[in-house]
Amino acid sequence: MIEVKGLRKSFGDNEVLKGVDLTIEKGDVVVILGPSGSGKTTILRCINFLEKASEGTMVFDGETFDLSSMNRKDIHRLRMKTAFVFQNYNLFANMTVLRNVEIGLTAARGMGKAEAEEIALRMLEKVGLSDKRDAYPSQLSGGQQQRVAIARALASSPEVIYFDEPTSALDPELIGEVLAVMRDLADEGMTMVVVTHEMNFARNISNKVLFLEDGNVIESAPTKQFFEAPSSERAKAFVRMITADRTVREDNKQKEI
Amino acid sequence: MSRFWMILIEAFPQILLQGIKVTLPLTAVSFFFALIISVIVAMIQYADIPVLKQICRFYIWLIRGTPLLVQLYVIFYGLPSVGIYLDAWPAAIFVLSFNEGAYMAETVRGALESIPVGQVEAGQCVGLSYLQIMWHIVLPQAFKVAFPSLSNSLIGLLKETSLATTITITEMIRQAQIINSKHYETLGLYCEVAIIYLAFCTILTWIQRAAEKRLNRVGGRTEND
Ligand SMILES: Nc1ncnc2c1ncn2[C@@H]1O[C@H](COP(=O)(O)OP(=O)(O)O)[C@@H](O)[C@H]1O
Ligand SMILES: [Mg+2]
Repeated sequence: MIEVKGLRKSFGDNEVLKGVDLTIEKGDVVVILGPSGSGKTTILRCINFLEKASEGTMVFDGETFDLSSMNRKDIHRLRMKTAFVFQNYNLFANMTVLRNVEIGLTAARGMGKAEAEEIALRMLEKVGLSDKRDAYPSQLSGGQQQRVAIARALASSPEVIYFDEPTSALDPELIGEVLAVMRDLADEGMTMVVVTHEMNFARNISNKVLFLEDGNVIESAPTKQFFEAPSSERAKAFVRMITADRTVREDNKQKEI
Repeated sequence: MSRFWMILIEAFPQILLQGIKVTLPLTAVSFFFALIISVIVAMIQYADIPVLKQICRFYIWLIRGTPLLVQLYVIFYGLPSVGIYLDAWPAAIFVLSFNEGAYMAETVRGALESIPVGQVEAGQCVGLSYLQIMWHIVLPQAFKVAFPSLSNSLIGLLKETSLATTITITEMIRQAQIINSKHYETLGLYCEVAIIYLAFCTILTWIQRAAEKRLNRVGGRTEND
C-alpha cells in the first residue's frame, strides 16, 4: 500500500535520515524502534509532509511521489487518506471534544453537520469517551486527550494512522487505556505505523519492526524474528536495555506501592 | 451657588456632548480600522510572506519610532503642500488607525505565535487548509490571548483622540478651551474634562472585565502551559 524508498532528511548539515526504506501493507502494524534522536519522529513527519524530505520516493496506492518536491495538492490529497496521532495529543484547545473529532469531516471534507456528528459520536464511543463530548481538552486527563486524538484520527476513515510515541507523555497509570484502544484497532485490521518504546505492544501487537539507529535502518524484520532472533547485536542490546529499564521502573513502582 | 459651580455645571453637558459626538465615534471608528490593520499585518508576519513581511516590519518601525503628534501634523498640515488635502476627520481616523494598528499588530502577532504549533500541524493532518486552520483554530485562541492587551489599546486610543484637537477637531479639550476663553475657569474646566475621560475609561474597563469573564467561560482555558 505504501512504499517509501531512500528517504533522506537533513537539518542544515545534520543528516538525520540516511536513506530509509519502509514498506507498509494493508493491515500491517509496523513498529519503529530506536534510541532517542535516531530519527523516528522525523520519518513519520516526512511521510506525512510535516517536514520536507531532502530525498526519497513514496508509492501510495500505486501512485509514485517524490518526497522532496511534493506540491500542495498532492500533499492535501494524501493527507486526506492518512491520520496522525502526536506524542502530546495536540487537540484543538478552543473546541469541545465532539468538535475536535468532527471538524476534519465538516470543514475539511464538507460533510453535513448531522452526518459528521453521528460519525464523531461513534468514534468517541469506540474510545470510550462518549460522555465527554462537551468537555474541553483542558478538562481531560492525558490519557483521555490521547483517546480523543485517536477518535479524531479515526473519524475520517484513514487508510493508515501514524502514531508518534502516543503514550510517552502519559503518566504510567494512563498508558494502559491508550494501548488498549490501539490494540482494538489492530484487531480490526487498521493499518498503523507506531513509534513506541512499549515493548509489550511491539512484541504482541505489531507484525513488523523497523529498528533505527542514527538515521539508518539497522534491522527491518517480522516482529517474531526481530525479538527471537535479531540479526544485529545492536538490536539485541537495545531490546535488552529497554526491557531491563522497564522492569526496573516497574520494580520501583512496586516498591513505592 | 458660587460662580465656579455655575460655570462647571453649564459647561458639563457641552463638553460631554463633544465627547459623545466626537471622542467616542473617533475612538470606535479608528479602533475598528486599527483592528483590521493589525490582524492583517500580524498574519502576514505569522505566515512569513516575503516582501510583504518586510513592508509590515517597516511600517511598524516607522510608526512606533515617531510621535503621534508628528504623524498628525505631517498628514494634515504637511500633505497639502504636495497636493493631497484631507479633511480633519479622515486625517484623524487615518492617522489614529495606522498608529494604533502598529502597536496592536505586535500584540496580535505575539498572540498568534503563542498558539502551540502542534495544533496547526494537527489541523494540517486532519486535512484543513491554511485559512481554515487560521479561522477555526489559531485566531479564536489568539483573540483570547490578545484581548486584555487590545482592550488596553482601546483605552489608550480613547485618550489619544484628544490630540485631534491639534488638527481643528472640536473634541472635549477644544470645547473646554472655548468655554474657558469666555469664563477663565481653567482648573475647574480641565478637571471636568479629566473626569469625563475617567468615566469613559471606567466604563470601558467594566466592559472589558465582563467580556473577559465570558471569554474564559466559553472555550475552556487555552493550552499554553
Ligand atoms: N526541526 C528540527 N531542526 C533541527 N534538528 C532537528 C529537528 N527535528 C529533529 N531534529 C534532529 O533530528 C534528530 C532526530 O530527531 P527525531 O526524529 O525527533 O528523533 P526520535 O524521534 O527518534 O527521538 C535529532 O538529532 C534532532 O535533534
Ligand atoms: Mg520522537
